[in-house]
Amino acid sequence: MKMMSITFDFTLIDNYSIIITVAGFCIVLATLSLSVCFFTQLHSLLDIMAKRKLKKQGSATHDDTQKVVMTGEENAAIATALYLFFSELHDEEKYVMTIRKVSRTYSPWNSKIYGIWNTMKHW
Amino acid sequence: MNTLQTLFSLWEDTGFHNANWGNIGMIIVGMILLFLSIRYSIKPLLLIPLSVGIVLGNIPFFHEAAYHIGIYQDGSVLNYLFLGVLKGIYPALIFLGLGAMTDLSPLISNPKLMLLGAAAQIGIFATFLGAMVFGFPMPESAAIAIIGAADGNTAIFLTSQVANTLGTSGEGMAVQSLIGPIAIAAYLYMALVPVIQPPIMKLLTTKKERLIRMKPSRTVSRFEKILFPLLGLLLTAFVAPASLPLLGMFFFGNILKESGLTKQLATTASTIMIDIVVILIGFTVGASTQADVFLKWQSLLIFILGAVAFMVATAGGVVFAKVMNLFLKKENRINPLVGAAGVAAIPDSAKVAHEMGIKEDPTNHLINHAMAPNIAGLIGSAITAGLLLGFLF
Repeated sequence: MKMMSITFDFTLIDNYSIIITVAGFCIVLATLSLSVCFFTQLHSLLDIMAKRKLKKQGSATHDDTQKVVMTGEENAAIATALYLFFSELHDEEKYVMTIRKVSRTYSPWNSKIYGIWNTMKHW
Repeated sequence: MNTLQTLFSLWEDTGFHNANWGNIGMIIVGMILLFLSIRYSIKPLLLIPLSVGIVLGNIPFFHEAAYHIGIYQDGSVLNYLFLGVLKGIYPALIFLGLGAMTDLSPLISNPKLMLLGAAAQIGIFATFLGAMVFGFPMPESAAIAIIGAADGNTAIFLTSQVANTLGTSGEGMAVQSLIGPIAIAAYLYMALVPVIQPPIMKLLTTKKERLIRMKPSRTVSRFEKILFPLLGLLLTAFVAPASLPLLGMFFFGNILKESGLTKQLATTASTIMIDIVVILIGFTVGASTQADVFLKWQSLLIFILGAVAFMVATAGGVVFAKVMNLFLKKENRINPLVGAAGVAAIPDSAKVAHEMGIKEDPTNHLINHAMAPNIAGLIGSAITAGLLLGFLF
């Protein structure tokens, strides 16, 4: 293993590296915060647009009181049922009965005549 | 050439003649990793190619031979396969596959959880300064710090760009090839997520906080699912263009999935293609740990700094979740365990948050909520990598 002198010197941190650290973290935080604001507002905007569309069509608008609130468990149960249905994992029999004939070739190793129990009877 | 000379030349070519303790040590390390991954099923998809790569990369050979076989020898088969790592091709392809298999609904339905992914980046930036204190040049420090994301692909991508060959940094300091130790450290911490994170999460949270039940996620429309990757791509690409190979591919993969019209492309990207790339990246990264390049004191320091980065990132996410709770209404509060999923180890850290939640309350399922900061962590760390790349060049 090649030896290396391990330094521990705080003066190695120059201004540029501090700028990188502070600016870098702030930019990441700002970018993701901007996404948070945008997507929080987007949902409200889509809701308003959907209401307007329904109003234009003359249908009843769906206000918050009519909103269907479902828990995660209910969602999961519906999703599982749909998944099983579309994956055709539910039981479905063919209703055709067949008897599969299995042919075995004769071998003295599985012969009843030469079976070990027959031999034991004579003992 | 007489018979004796021919036999001697043959002997010189064999591994027995060229073996040194470094090679043998690394082969043993590879064997141990292989044993652990097979016997205890520790990340077998990752560790088996990696450990076989370690063994293969350390078979001693005659360096002066006319034929090239070593991974660092130009023109060898391994060298060509390693190009995918050196040029950052494999990480980009893996991001494409990740995008094609990731459902962004948890993030879209609760966008505020995205901030936890941003908070966890504190580990990367803190370690960047920490590595500089230990005398690493700036590019190497950036590459080491990105281990804090606990995402091997981001780490390989950044290292391949800033610390993959012997050269000089802007300040005239020698920059070394650190891909081997950094990739191994990042993959190792990805595998050790269930070991490293829980004690930190437990230390920083109270039982009451761990029992917090979060509001169920709302249903997300198809329109939102398509809009998110598109806007995400534009926003991140404009902020940090250097992260385009990673995030561009990630969001592209997600558009393939969510469009609903390119199912076979999304399936190929998220199954067959990603499997091929995982084989190649794991194997070549393992093979890059050739003893003479890998066994240095710096490697040990990189492992320690990487662990610190990962631990700080975990703590950053948990603490930020607690801070957010101070400003949120009671019904909107966040379970701080979810904050630990702000690191980019998808989906391991989300699973850890879920399992810890289950331990406290068997009916409190956090996996769906934890996936949101987990995805945000992946996006955040790729932006961070892009920013660091932009700052350094």
